[in-house]
Amino acid sequence: MTKIHIPTPLRQYAGKQPAVEVKATTVGEALAGLVARHPDLRRHLYTDDGKLRAFVNVYVNDEDVRYLQKDATAVGDGDTISIVPSIAGGR
Amino acid sequence: MTSLEPDERYSRQVLFRGIGPEGQRRLAEARVAVVGCGATGSAIASLLARAGVGTLRIIDRDYVEPSNLQRQTLFDEADAAESLPKAIAAARRIAAFNSQIVVEPQVADLTPDNIAALLEGMQLILDGTDNFETRYLINDFAVQASLPWIYTAAVGSYGVSLNILPGKTACLACVFPDSPRGAIETCETAGILNSAVNLAASIAVTEALKLMVGAEEQLRRTLLSFDVWHNQRAEVGASKPRIGCRACGLKDFVHLAGEGRPHITLCGRNSVQIHERHRPLDFAEMSQRLSPHGAVRHNAFVLKFWPEPYEVTLFPDGRAIIKGTTDTAVARSLYARYVGN
Repeated sequence: MTKIHIPTPLRQYAGKQPAVEVKATTVGEALAGLVARHPDLRRHLYTDDGKLRAFVNVYVNDEDVRYLQKDATAVGDGDTISIVPSIAGGR
Repeated sequence: MTSLEPDERYSRQVLFRGIGPEGQRRLAEARVAVVGCGATGSAIASLLARAGVGTLRIIDRDYVEPSNLQRQTLFDEADAAESLPKAIAAARRIAAFNSQIVVEPQVADLTPDNIAALLEGMQLILDGTDNFETRYLINDFAVQASLPWIYTAAVGSYGVSLNILPGKTACLACVFPDSPRGAIETCETAGILNSAVNLAASIAVTEALKLMVGAEEQLRRTLLSFDVWHNQRAEVGASKPRIGCRACGLKDFVHLAGEGRPHITLCGRNSVQIHERHRPLDFAEMSQRLSPHGAVRHNAFVLKFWPEPYEVTLFPDGRAIIKGTTDTAVARSLYARYVGN
């Protein structure tokens, strides 16, 4: 199983869970599994045409998937996927 | 009488091995800009000032309000009652606890037109802003000028920080190619814990100290995020520029070129900013002219005017913040009616 860490700003759309375990061989499959289980997350992670939003970063074991093979980046047992949204607040 | 000799003032900090006498001397010579002086910005400016950073330029476009006092540590109730510009209030407060450094307040909105002048002579930029538009502008400028800067943000109990050394680490556009739109929480929807703000600011200032004293090898080269309420902390890699990055790779500085930024809707508030250049205002004359149309008062820094149901705040350079609407057309027409076309 691959563990997906949900950052707190997005947890309200994921049943308030800090992490979700999914069975997947790629990042794309893992995220598809995640949004299948928590449909409210979809619009926060993907654009209307199904692309990962540019302000949402996805990391596999601390490496940005944009530097790896993006959605096709392989994952397996023991790998950890982290989602890190950009946030604006400061005032 | 307590000694105010610098040696005495900074003695505890000099004892810390990472700083030492040489580090303290470098801090005294440092020139640092803090852009935005709200929650993160005032915490950052306060720590830098107490640490003895020689020249601090504080740039902010806003004025103090009562709802700021829960977390914006440089301001007090009198500042809010006066609607003092945050940069001015910050400079006054800092002067009261450290008169031995130079604070340069700038009441201004950082724009593509004025960024080079406002950040001239600075060696490091710290982010106290609340929006990605300004952050991408800072990023473009910093990358072009090869200036280090530190991104810091907080919302709810969550905070993030990233050190950006152009050409050496990832830049903001490498990590976040696009700004959040709509979907993600803001301070308005999620609120903000003052402790999250202060932790984010403390982390950013520590990194700034390392840069200023020349301890670059100690710098964190990750995007750090934490949640003080849910007891979490995560770091993800940001140690190298992304190939093909718009800003640091392709040098395509779209934000510096300033496409379409005539109006700005402020974050977390029901208001619109109108930026007008070359329109210096005479507050005494304006007060007289506006008084038949609503309550009006002014000091040396701001003029406030209440044409019901709106609140218009004018700055001496002609800039306005119009509260009570998020419709730029409404704000524009109020401005035209009461200030001029």
